[in-house]
Amino acid sequence: MESLEPLFIAASPTSPEIDFRFDQHTLSIKGESYPENAAAFYGPLIERVRGWLAGCEDAAITVNVSLAYFNSSSTKMLFTFFETLNAAALAGTPVRLNWYHDEDDDTILEFGQELQDDFGALEFHDHAVSSH
Amino acid sequence: MLYQEFNDFWDVARKRHIIFFYVGYFSQHVVAAISETIKARLDTAGAAGPTRRRIFSSFVEMSQNIMHYSSDSLTPPEQGQRQMRRGSFCIGMKDDSFFLLCANPVDSLNVERIRSRLEPLHTMTMEQIKSAYKKALREETPADSKGAGLGFLTMARDASEPLEFEFVQEAHNPGSTMFCIKAII
Repeated sequence: MESLEPLFIAASPTSPEIDFRFDQHTLSIKGESYPENAAAFYGPLIERVRGWLAGCEDAAITVNVSLAYFNSSSTKMLFTFFETLNAAALAGTPVRLNWYHDEDDDTILEFGQELQDDFGALEFHDHAVSSH
Repeated sequence: MLYQEFNDFWDVARKRHIIFFYVGYFSQHVVAAISETIKARLDTAGAAGPTRRRIFSSFVEMSQNIMHYSSDSLTPPEQGQRQMRRGSFCIGMKDDSFFLLCANPVDSLNVERIRSRLEPLHTMTMEQIKSAYKKALREETPADSKGAGLGFLTMARDASEPLEFEFVQEAHNPGSTMFCIKAII
């Protein structure tokens, strides 16, 4: 039995806030992401989510991602994170992904499009946010 | 006299329209502090949102290259985290563009490997760079990469002209080569 204990990591200047409320089926990531070692930062989070998903029993999951910036190695880890969620969606767990980005940030918008192309099982919702 | 001494030095930077420079050891704390400074500096320099984001992104990729690959380290190489490694970084303006310049020493044995990653980017169009980026995103991380093999592609994507680079073998120490890279945004 995987623990339903929430996982919270406060934001640092170079890493985002992680707020995974497993009991509420809500996973949120918010802030900026350029830790020294993205694999060391995201690896254990992805493992924890995998373990939880394995016993998740098809209850709908909401994922909120609101990142103002992520560097290349974080991009790679985020891709793996969404791959994991997509696998759960394919196995029958509905996953809604709320993708927040600044309205004039083409890079993050395009990355969101990449995610839609590759991970079609995720229910993707694009939210362009005004910076003004 | 003290101030004059300092001013002579600062004048050179001002004449070259340098808005930020740093020479020394890079740690994650230094990167965070520089980030804070250049964000504020770019705001006052009046750079548009997308330009500011591309400059910031290129800075982060360059600083991570220094932290992961500079051959001059204060910390033991086997230590995976909290690295401190030496490099130089500056941002300046020329005509209507911003440029970022970065340099760090590398082992001369690695020069050809780095060159083989950068050279193909030189002749690629933006469309080709974007499609190479998409491909690399879906590939396994190269064994010799601590990032994701996406760093140079990210810099190339953010730049408005092909990345320039140079290797200068250190005369007094042929085993070491200075690796310089420049991005124009």
